[in-house]
Amino acid sequence: MTRRVAAPKPRLRSWLESPVAGPLITFLLIFFLLSFVPNFLTMRSVSGIVNAATLTGMITVGITLLMIAGEFDLSAGALMAVGAFLYGGLTMNGSPPLVALLMALIIPGLLGAFNGLLLVWTGIPSFIVTLGTQFIYRGALWVYSGGIMLQTVQQIPIYDVFNGRMDFIADLIKDANFRTALLWLLGVVFLFQYILTRTRFGNHVFAIGGNPGAAKAQGVNVNRTKVICFIISGVLSGFAGVLLFSQYKTAKIATGAGEELKAIASAVVGGALLTGGEGSIVGALIGVMLISMLRTGIILLNLPFIPADNFEAVVGVTIVGAAILNNWIRSRA
Amino acid sequence: MSGNGTDTPVVHMEKIVKRFGTITALNQVDFTVNRQEIVGLLGDNGAGKSTLIKVLTGVYPPTSGKIYFEGKLVNITSPRIARALGIETCYQDLALVPHMSITRNFFLGRELTRHLGPIHWLDLHQMDKESRDALRNIGIHIRSPREKVGKLSGGERQSIAIGRAQYFGAKLLILDEPTSALSVGETHKVLTYTLAAKERGLSVIFITHNVGHVYQVADRFVILRHGELVGSYPKEEVTEKDIASLITGERER
Repeated sequence: MTRRVAAPKPRLRSWLESPVAGPLITFLLIFFLLSFVPNFLTMRSVSGIVNAATLTGMITVGITLLMIAGEFDLSAGALMAVGAFLYGGLTMNGSPPLVALLMALIIPGLLGAFNGLLLVWTGIPSFIVTLGTQFIYRGALWVYSGGIMLQTVQQIPIYDVFNGRMDFIADLIKDANFRTALLWLLGVVFLFQYILTRTRFGNHVFAIGGNPGAAKAQGVNVNRTKVICFIISGVLSGFAGVLLFSQYKTAKIATGAGEELKAIASAVVGGALLTGGEGSIVGALIGVMLISMLRTGIILLNLPFIPADNFEAVVGVTIVGAAILNNWIRSRA
Repeated sequence: MSGNGTDTPVVHMEKIVKRFGTITALNQVDFTVNRQEIVGLLGDNGAGKSTLIKVLTGVYPPTSGKIYFEGKLVNITSPRIARALGIETCYQDLALVPHMSITRNFFLGRELTRHLGPIHWLDLHQMDKESRDALRNIGIHIRSPREKVGKLSGGERQSIAIGRAQYFGAKLLILDEPTSALSVGETHKVLTYTLAAKERGLSVIFITHNVGHVYQVADRFVILRHGELVGSYPKEEVTEKDIASLITGERER
């Protein structure tokens, strides 16, 4: 086994092999191109891009974890609405903020557990299970809320804790309108990057996605690990709902619709494989930011054939392009 | 079965019967593996080789029959129990996770961790060192323990699975078609590691279709046909050609 293949230098090669390499290269490339667009390199645009990405970013963490484990969670958007309703409703009627927060995390977490248990009990693919449960959860939400929209003008301090303006930054740097949700997102990203790459549980997540048979043969509890991933995705979706309500102070049954697909796209742009076994939380964060950056870039470009409300076409091209580029970079490594 | 001396077989399976509904997959099969012995388990498709192994490793419960491990009657009801006894199986496709590094595969399910209070983390440095040393000790040299298993050749993967089983204290190693998809050179390596495992005191069950490969390393051949034991033949008593004709039934016993 002393055979050596002519290849790039070992360090560069191992870096290119990492799932973050492709997304980062794509991100920098597009950032470079967009930097020529007027008004793109301003604090106003940059902070706008970041703020627009935080809510999707939060559910992308859980979705990426599940995709590495080889599963999908299409109910994430619905669970975001459930979290937003519980948190919003409870804070508005004067419940202690901590109770509201816990309910908005625990209930979506339990619904996530239900997704996972349905998967392991019935053996039906999670894509189908959660395709169904997302409608069940929105239906339950309709029953719970009576179908009305939730809205408030109250200003409770906890809203600022989760998604308030960080005026001290805007005071230092003109137009840098970052919000506190960014700090929560970065905390969650680094926590889960650590859990995935540095803990026994993370090792098992990669193993059950990469080769479930091998994981089982080595004594990994495949089903338990999957259910835990679904619980995490549920809790993070609920938390995304908390961040959403804290910012907009409104929630409706359709809140968060389509977010799960954006999150899957971000995870794929960020280097996750649809077949499982590979991906990265930091890569997914880059993916979310890339899509948000592109959206702002397109709006600023004001192209004749692509008005701002048709930017999704460009995002679609990027998703496919990034997936191809990621594959290419990995195959060259 | 008495005592625990060196003449006690590692495994002795007695009159094993396994029925699936009306089909008899194994009929009164006796099977023994002695200490530091490589046994070639041979038979055509459907002869009952893998059923016998699945009974031994706790995947299927036998309909009737007894299993002795190191002289003691045991009831192997799950793969976990087989493993705790020291029976390790290296399946062709189910051995390793291709997207993960050699180290992470080596310690999968048995990761080394360090902790500070309730916070645990993987001791990757120690695991890298131990997996590299363990593989080197049995003559397997790897470029880097962080290399992904998917980048390795089939023979290299087999050898890592064998090395892992040895490192974690296996007494009986079951190799399921270890050479079936390998080139000549790679096959040679896997056969070398199989012999090395025996030198280190392990017993090996080598399941294969390929008489040529197993003939180079096995001490004894056990042949099954249609779920029944054809016989057990020490290497001195049979040629490759004899074995081939016993498998197909051209020749009776």
